[in-house]
Amino acid sequence: MTGLDPRTKIVIIICLSTLAVFLNEPWPLLLLFVFTLVVLLLMRINFFRMAMRFKKLLPLLLLMLIIQSVFTAGGEVMFSFQGVHILTTNGIHSSLCILFRLLTFFSSAMIIMTSNSKDYVLALVQLKIPYEIAFMVLVALRFLPVFIEEIRDTLVAMQLRGIDLQRIPWRHKIKFYTHLFAPLLSSVMLKAHQLAITMEARAFRIYRRRTYLRLLQYRVADYVVMGFFVIATIAVLTRGFLY
Amino acid sequence: MAYIELENVSFCYPGQSRPVLREINLSILNKGVTAITGANGSGKTTLSKLLTGILLPTKGRIKLNGQLLTSLTLTQIGRQIGYVFQNPDKQLFCETVEEEIAFGVRNLGLPPDQAAQKVREVMDYFELTRHAQAYPLSLSAGEKRRLALAAVFALEPGLLLLDEPTTGLDPYRKKLLGDYLDKMLAAGRGVVLISHDQKFINRYATRLMGLQDGQFIEE
Ligand SMILES: Nc1ncnc2c1ncn2[C@@H]1O[C@H](COP(=O)(O)OP(=O)(O)O)[C@@H](O)[C@H]1O
Ligand SMILES: [Mg+2]
Repeated sequence: MTGLDPRTKIVIIICLSTLAVFLNEPWPLLLLFVFTLVVLLLMRINFFRMAMRFKKLLPLLLLMLIIQSVFTAGGEVMFSFQGVHILTTNGIHSSLCILFRLLTFFSSAMIIMTSNSKDYVLALVQLKIPYEIAFMVLVALRFLPVFIEEIRDTLVAMQLRGIDLQRIPWRHKIKFYTHLFAPLLSSVMLKAHQLAITMEARAFRIYRRRTYLRLLQYRVADYVVMGFFVIATIAVLTRGFLY
Repeated sequence: MAYIELENVSFCYPGQSRPVLREINLSILNKGVTAITGANGSGKTTLSKLLTGILLPTKGRIKLNGQLLTSLTLTQIGRQIGYVFQNPDKQLFCETVEEEIAFGVRNLGLPPDQAAQKVREVMDYFELTRHAQAYPLSLSAGEKRRLALAAVFALEPGLLLLDEPTTGLDPYRKKLLGDYLDKMLAAGRGVVLISHDQKFINRYATRLMGLQDGQFIEE
């Protein structure tokens, strides 16, 4: 499964997230999530190691689940305080749905990382998306880490000049974070300008038709996997109408 | 006593097999000009980031004034070492030149009138008063470097660490930079100069170190 065409991977992600959107019961959603994990395993992606990187978002997720379960009314009351229904079966039901849905989105998005960004540009081009747009996507992917690096440098410079970001209170912190934008914006503008000149110097768009050194080719495995995912997704989504 | 002390320091960027620096032992005093030279990619900038605690050594330890660097925050280190980045654009983040210098001064805890006085002095000293209201990133390369230098200088660090400060400076600006270095020395501060500007080094360095294959050779 690691050698799949990037277009196949895009189809897999679309299928998985479509299912996650349309399924509305905790059990099928859990099943979908487990299935996604199996797909990740087959692609040799370590879900748990990736998830650890996002552990800072955990409190936010928890808060969302609690709010969701508290504010959804209906069903049997499991816990109430002074006549206010705090926990109902419907609340638990909907927060479980959200949990599994988010986990599925998150883990299916990881599939993207198994191809490099150039392949996705080729994939987009071969899906008949104009090269200009595909190139913009590539540039965005290419420069994101650079900008993150620059923000980090500015943060270091601020600290070296006497601001201890760990110690100052939150409302002041926001003021200091605004200092990050000016250098970032100016460096974005500068890089965009330089890139535009470089591209023209290298004859970007000089001919209407662009050719590519390498072409993506579907293999049998791609057709099989894509067929399976599309048919399975349609089957699951339409089963409601069939009965 | 040594201002900065490196003991068996090795450093390797994550995900790379070849270490950039290997088993470095070095002490740096806060007087005189210590020049560090070396080819492109020999690890000079990496070393300077280790000295300021931006990067942590993979092996060995670094002491600043007898304290382990790992026990200090960047804020505390910044008070003792004034670091001018190889690319000073990255350390300018305020709206005006005056703000840029005032940013550090405000964190010194001086009363407002003294702080304002100090900002004026520093601007004057570095001949930046003319540009006080200019946007830092729109200055010329040499002016940006001077501003970055002024901004860290305002914190009165005991040691200045300059990463390739003469890049892009014309002979006159180089001479000015050299004059600042002399003034710094006269004020009892040390300078670490990373550069391969041979002429500049010959003129100002009191100690010359070469970085090669991750190790130092004293010259
Ligand atoms: N952030 C980084 N990640 C990985 N490798 C790096 C990074 N920064 C520098 N290097 C590598 O470390 C080596 C030393 O770089 P550097 O310290 O910038 O050299 P110098 O300043 O002497 O020109 C180079 O081979 C460079 O490719
Ligand atoms: Mg360098």
